[in-house]
Amino acid sequence: MTAPLFLEMAINGLISGSIYALVGSGIALVYGTTRVLNFAHGELLMIAGYLVLFFAVTLGWNVLLASVVTLALVGSIGAAIQRITIAPLLAREDWAFRVIAATIGLSIFLQSGAQIVWGEQFRTLPYFFDGVVSLGGLRMPVQRLSILVIALLLMGLCALVLYRTSLGRIVRATAQDAEAALAVGIPAGLVHTSVFAISAVLAGAGAILLSPILTVNPWMGVSFLLKGFAVVILGGLGSFGGAVAAGFLLGLIEAASVMVLPTEWRDVVAFTFLIAVIWVRPNGLFAGREA
Amino acid sequence: MTEILGRRPALSFLICVGLFLLTLVLPLNDYVLHILTLSLIFAIFASGWNLTLGILGLKTLGHHAFFAIGAYLSAIAAFYGGVSPWLTIWVGAVLAALAGLLIGLPILRIRSMPHVAIVTLAFAEIVRLIFSNLKDITRGELGFWGIPPFDPVSFGETTIRFGLGNAWGSFILVGLFFFAVQGGLLLLLRSRPGLTFAAIRDSEAAAESLGINFGAWKLAAFALSAGIVGLSGAIYAHYVMILTPTSVAGPEMLITLLAIIIVGGAGRFFGPLYGALLLTGSLELLREFGDYRMLLYGALVIGFVFVAPQGIAGLKFDRLRRRRGHGTNESSSSA
Repeated sequence: MTAPLFLEMAINGLISGSIYALVGSGIALVYGTTRVLNFAHGELLMIAGYLVLFFAVTLGWNVLLASVVTLALVGSIGAAIQRITIAPLLAREDWAFRVIAATIGLSIFLQSGAQIVWGEQFRTLPYFFDGVVSLGGLRMPVQRLSILVIALLLMGLCALVLYRTSLGRIVRATAQDAEAALAVGIPAGLVHTSVFAISAVLAGAGAILLSPILTVNPWMGVSFLLKGFAVVILGGLGSFGGAVAAGFLLGLIEAASVMVLPTEWRDVVAFTFLIAVIWVRPNGLFAGREA
Repeated sequence: MTEILGRRPALSFLICVGLFLLTLVLPLNDYVLHILTLSLIFAIFASGWNLTLGILGLKTLGHHAFFAIGAYLSAIAAFYGGVSPWLTIWVGAVLAALAGLLIGLPILRIRSMPHVAIVTLAFAEIVRLIFSNLKDITRGELGFWGIPPFDPVSFGETTIRFGLGNAWGSFILVGLFFFAVQGGLLLLLRSRPGLTFAAIRDSEAAAESLGINFGAWKLAAFALSAGIVGLSGAIYAHYVMILTPTSVAGPEMLITLLAIIIVGGAGRFFGPLYGALLLTGSLELLREFGDYRMLLYGALVIGFVFVAPQGIAGLKFDRLRRRRGHGTNESSSSA
């Protein structure tokens, strides 16, 4: 394999990996804090895709403004989903499975809702950034590279908040023991809702970054949800850092598989890798501290 | 056990058989029979899945993979090998059970629901992609057509034919499979394994402390459940005679079956039957509103989780329990 080809593979892997990391770290954050698996997480991506399309293309807003408004709306939708469908179930027996069932129902409901509202048309956003970077014989559109950079910045910001601020300490305290956190005056319910909002914003950011290079459609969330889940398991359930690392790893593995096998086998390789890891290391590759 | 089986499971079972025999003499048209046949196939699927999901309490989400394995492998053996579907369906069922063992081994060691849910879901995606990608054999999403129906059976002068277009014969055949599977499961659940499953669901630690080798039990139940689902897939393949990876292993299959189990009653023996009859029937009624079908299924799942998490079968049981007074009948009929 020639050096530029290898470099291209690595960068492509890191780019798709950064999206998996964004989606996966959101799922990990929610699971780590609330022990909830949100199967409607992928639909937050889809909704963000349609929102940014509406603001930036239909209304013709500036992309930055459209993105900020989209993220704010998706964050509120995430919080609303937690308040309306998840929080009321947590008090009941066998809640873990009921939450899974309810969010699977919600996921399908939102998908077919989007299909009815927006139809089956597949749409894309124009590129946010023009230009091409030349890197040792390799030409990479700025648009694609920006995905990696912006995703890293966002996840870095999240990690900074989680591990270096008092808000982060509140979240981590709630994750360790919600009742004890409540006893020392932390509004655990509110923390749970805001964690959902943060994870929705991370997914929404992924969708905005993807929308110029992938099509926005009612089912765009499905494959990212599965990849996000795989990343969360690989990284060690509930670990924020583990999910980020596993996201990049999964992206690299997929990019490598495309070099050897036809593209349609990419996801087979990714999920087989997941099952192989579970055989050997049930607790994930990077069992670390919890979010 | 009463909670799972209801108060008089054998009687309920006989009533179902009676109703089935009654349907045979009614002058039903082919379309109604077709819907009933599909309902019964999905009821077999749901009973198999219910064994792990409801009765054993293992939250597996990838059983449509076993349906696809049973359907495709039986169809491939019959189509390319020229073997009779009467034999190949068992090949499909056994291979699905083996696949269940393969995927069950790594996840059942872990007592973590998210692991079980996600890994089984990922497995279903692998299976869907494999059948979709092996275009030389399965024709991928174009559809695997020309699958032979079950060979006709002759009793003296009369010959019963099967497959799509032979509604009456297919309905009898699928009915026989359904009652064989249900009868077998009923016997199993009323004997020692049934009590073991319930013990594992109620408390893994307590069950283990009583000397239940619960890893082996869970694995066996998982393989059995995968085998039953595989059998239902194989029967489906030789009934509809055309398969696509998305139709048998796509997300719609997951949500359809999840809705059947939740609406019918997860962990209730007769839940899958109620759910399958109700939902497959209403699905056909809603055929002209095709776009709204999945919307309705999603809403139904959410609604039942909130309002009636025990499903239809659970509603009936709750009412019975309330009418007769709780504690007394619990002990008398839980044998």
